[in-house]
Formats: sequence, C-alpha cells, structure tokens
Amino acid sequence: MSDDTLIAVDNIVTRFGANTIHDGVSMSVRRGEVVALIGGSGTGKSVLLKEMIGLLRPTEGQVQLFGESVWTSSAAELRSLRQRFGVLFQDGALFSSINVARNVATPLFEHTDLAQADSLQLAQLKLALAGLPPDTAMKMPNELSGGMRKRVALARALALDPELLFLDEPTSGLDPISARAFDHLIRTLADNLGLTVLLVTHDLDTLLSIIDRVIVLANGKVLGSGTVAEIKQIDDDWLQAYFAARANTGDGNGK
Amino acid sequence: MSPTLQATSTDKAIRLEVAGAWRLSTFNELLAIKLPSASLPVVVDGSAITYLDTSGAWALLRAMHDGGLALDTANYSGFSTEHLAILDLVKQNFDASLTSTKQPHGSYLAKLGEIVTIGWRRGHGMLGFVGVLSTELVQLLRYPHRFRVKEFTNQIEVILVYTVPLAFAMMFLLGLVFSYLLGIQAKQYGANIFVVDGAALAVCRELAPVIVAILVAGRSGAAITAQLGTMKVYEEIDAINVLGLSPYAVLVIPRILALVIALPLLVFVGDVAGLLGSMLVAAQQLDITPASFISRLNQVLELKTVLIGLLKAPVFAVFIGVIACYMGFNVARDARSIGLNTTATVVESIVSVILLNAIFAILLVKLGI
Repeated sequence: MSDDTLIAVDNIVTRFGANTIHDGVSMSVRRGEVVALIGGSGTGKSVLLKEMIGLLRPTEGQVQLFGESVWTSSAAELRSLRQRFGVLFQDGALFSSINVARNVATPLFEHTDLAQADSLQLAQLKLALAGLPPDTAMKMPNELSGGMRKRVALARALALDPELLFLDEPTSGLDPISARAFDHLIRTLADNLGLTVLLVTHDLDTLLSIIDRVIVLANGKVLGSGTVAEIKQIDDDWLQAYFAARANTGDGNGK
Repeated sequence: MSPTLQATSTDKAIRLEVAGAWRLSTFNELLAIKLPSASLPVVVDGSAITYLDTSGAWALLRAMHDGGLALDTANYSGFSTEHLAILDLVKQNFDASLTSTKQPHGSYLAKLGEIVTIGWRRGHGMLGFVGVLSTELVQLLRYPHRFRVKEFTNQIEVILVYTVPLAFAMMFLLGLVFSYLLGIQAKQYGANIFVVDGAALAVCRELAPVIVAILVAGRSGAAITAQLGTMKVYEEIDAINVLGLSPYAVLVIPRILALVIALPLLVFVGDVAGLLGSMLVAAQQLDITPASFISRLNQVLELKTVLIGLLKAPVFAVFIGVIACYMGFNVARDARSIGLNTTATVVESIVSVILLNAIFAILLVKLGI
C-alpha cells in the first residue's frame, strides 16, 4: 500500500442474519481524489460508509484509513483517527438544542484547547467557507432550509481541518439549483483545501460534474471503478438503466 | 516546527516571512503572534511554511488584519500552489468570518417579558384547542359513526389495563406506610381502631385520586404527547387532515375519553389497594383483625367519601388529556421539541391535578358536603 492511499477497504463481508450485503468488497481511494460510490438501492452503500467511519463493524475484512486499521485500533486510536476525517450525514444531523455557530464549533470545543471565543470565530470562518451568510451563525437548526442545513453540516465536518471527507448523499432532498451549487462548493473546497472526498450518491449530475472516479457496488461486490465514461461501458442492466435515465430526460424530446 | 512570523520593514515596504506549521493544532501559538501596525505595501513570503490549513491561514490573515495591513493588496510570494489556494479561499471569506457570534444577552426584564408572553400564548392556544375540541365533540355527537372504536379500545388497553398493576402496587404501599405511621401515634393513646377511620378517609378521598392521577399524568400523558408529537413531526397529522378526517375525532377524542373512563376505574383499584395495605398493617401492628377492620370500615367509610374520590378522577382526566394532546399537537418540527413538550405535559398535568384537588377541597367544604 502506498503512502498516497487514504482509504483502503479490503475484502469486506457484511451479513445481517442470513442476509449478505457485502461479499468481498475491496476498493481504495488515493489522496486528492473525489470519488463517488454508487449502486442500486439495498446494495449497501451507506452500510459500507458506516463501516469505513467506524460506526458499524463488518463481519469480515479490514478498513484502513490513513494506513491505520479502523477495526483493530483501540478506542483512543479510533478517536484520534476520527479527528482526521469529517462526515456529512444525509440530513445534516445537526444538534437541535444548540445554535449553528455552536454546532460547528462543537468539534473544536471537544478536541482542541482553544478558547471558546476563538473556536466560535473559526466556526464563523467554516460557515463562510461553506457559503453561508454570517447571520446564519445565530440561528437554531430548525430555522434552516434543507440546503442550509447541509451547508452547516459541511462546515461542521470541516471544523477540524480534516484531510478526508465522507459525504452521505450530499445532494439528496435539495432542489436542482441548490444541489448544483452544493456540488460546486464541494469541488471548490476539495481543490483549494486539497481534500480527499468519498461520497455516496444517486445524483447523476453530481457524477458528471465533480467526480474524478466512480466506484460501483452491485451484488455485494465492486462491479467496476473508473471515470464516468469508463463505467458507462460496463455491461450491467442496472448501470445501463441508471445512465439511460439521464439520456431520456436530456432535452425533453427523448434524445 | 513551530510557526513563526518575522517582520522586517524598510522605508518602502514591509516584508513578512512566514515559516513553520500553521495549522489548527498550533492555533493558540498563532493567536499570540502580533504584528506592529504600519501602512506600507506588504510582501508576504510563505516559502518556509511547512503546513497550512484553513485555521492557520485565517490566523495569518488575522495577524495582518490586526496590524492594519491590507490583505487584498499584499503581495503573496513564495507560497506553494496548494498553500496559495487555501490562503485565497480563506481570504475571500475573511470578512464574513469576523462577524461576532456573541449571543445578545437579554436583560432579566426582557426574559421575564418573554416568559409572560409564552405563558399568555400557551393559555391562548389551550383555550383555542378546547374550543375546537368542543365543536368537534358536537360534530361527533351528530355523526356517532365517525368515532374510532379501535383507537379507543387501544387506548383503554394502554391507559387502563397496563396501569392496573402499577396503580395497585403504589397505593398498596402508600396505604401501608400511611397506616403504619398513623398507627404509631394512635397506639400511644390506645386509639388503634381510629387508624381505620383515618386511613379510609385519606385513601379514598385524597390519596388514591391524586396519586393515581399523577401516575397517569406521568405515564399516559407523557406517552400521548410523545406519540402525537412524533406524528406531527412526520406530517401524519397533516395527512389525516388532507384525507378529509379530523385529527381531533381520530386522535384526540378517543384518548381523552379513554382517560376519562380509565382514571376513575384506576382510582377504585387504588382505593382497594390502599385499604388492603392498611388492613395488613392493622393486623400486624395494631391487633385489628381483618374482620373487625372491615366492620369498622363499614361504619365509618361513607359512600359519599368514596364517590367524591371517584368523581374527582374524570375531571383530572380531562385536564391531563387536554394538556397532553395540546402539547403533542404543538410540537415544533425538531427532535428537541418533542422532549420539551413531553416534560411540559408531565409538569403541567401534575400541577393542575394538585391545584384542582385543592379547589375541590375548598368547594366541598364550602358546600358542606
């Protein structure tokens, strides 16, 4: 394994009861890549994501982040590993009892010895980086629209200046305009901050606009990995239907 | 390598040499770095930076900003492309990041005003809720087939059947303790038999109705608020409305009716349990046999006393039900609100039960009952 590999998933097997979700999934992500994980419903994309970030233990197999094994490290090691990556959950997962600024500053409160005022100041910077106006900071999470919640969640994921970001369906539930703006934001941040991004998505527009590489999960295995053009060549019913869905809506006359 | 910032000024320009790791983990060191103020053209040399993240870039810009140096016109040289990209992004957002995040702290007077307004609004809302509920009740009387029998029986099961063991155990122990303590006093005067008088009056008239009502407020009231609140958050109540049904007829009335019927029955269970506890103590501690306990009970416990206890219960039930349903319907759309409203239901129901009980006590005395 080279030093450049940030995520290495090795032969993951996941079973829930008699139900096998993953049957030997192996993949890797190199530093600086923006990689999308796609697959039909129930192919275990989100489950795989949870196994990578240390929330769900796979039945067999190993996950390495930054060259350190997630599932054999101690609780303390896992804790310090977790400070090196950020996670954006599907609905934002903002803490509803504290305001936006404190939501973003929470990782700083917990993991650094910064003064509270400095933490809040850095939180304000992260909010600005996520494209939110300064007055958002004082709002409560329930006062925000879906798109703003995602941006706040992104700001929180960036709070500790991680090298690696995991995004779970970053554009789901957003209107097309907000979704494209969010895509653009992710790409800008990835390029400027040198972030490595792994995102789970269904959104074809995201794939076509900001992704370096696509990994396809099907039948418990990795079906293919490559650029969108390469993936399109794979002869698989689900993949063909997936890309055909885009072609049908192209310009409204079936072309 | 620890971060440093060297300023050398000639008469034409200031040259800043930035070196070391400028990152979150060294942020406290970075904040300590101050620059002398000057208003000369600035050259920033970043060739010796070993690590830069957004926090470090922000700290550098802040030091320059505090020193009165113009960020936009400065000449940034020697930075690697990656570092320059980070610095650029942070620079674009620097002004926005300076906005204060201080929560304005209201005065105590403002807080008091806020609390009063919230109380007023809640009273107002509750009154409106009762009004709508009354019209819905009239509607239901006109079209009785709209009544949800299934929902009602489900609620009876939860509120009545599953609560019987708990109500019995609580009142049994309470009757036992009450009679035991009363017995210690009565024994000194040889007035053992009067323990029956005291226990019968206390249990049937006051203890059973109040304690059982508090139990139901905590158990069923909280459950109703949490359940209706969750339905509200997931838009189930909107869906009921859109389907042309009334959430009052479907959800609220069956629950309140179930409470009104269940609570007196639970109070009766409580009466029996309390008296049994008392009987046990009487037999063990005061040498009153169960037979003489019952014959004494027959003499001193008037039917009126029991009825007062039982008739208080439906009134408590209406208050608990209305508060619980109102709180459930007024949950805001977030996870925290359900918890807050559930707590409010329990507190307000218990307070109103105790207040109502006091009002009953005064009224009954004044009326000479």
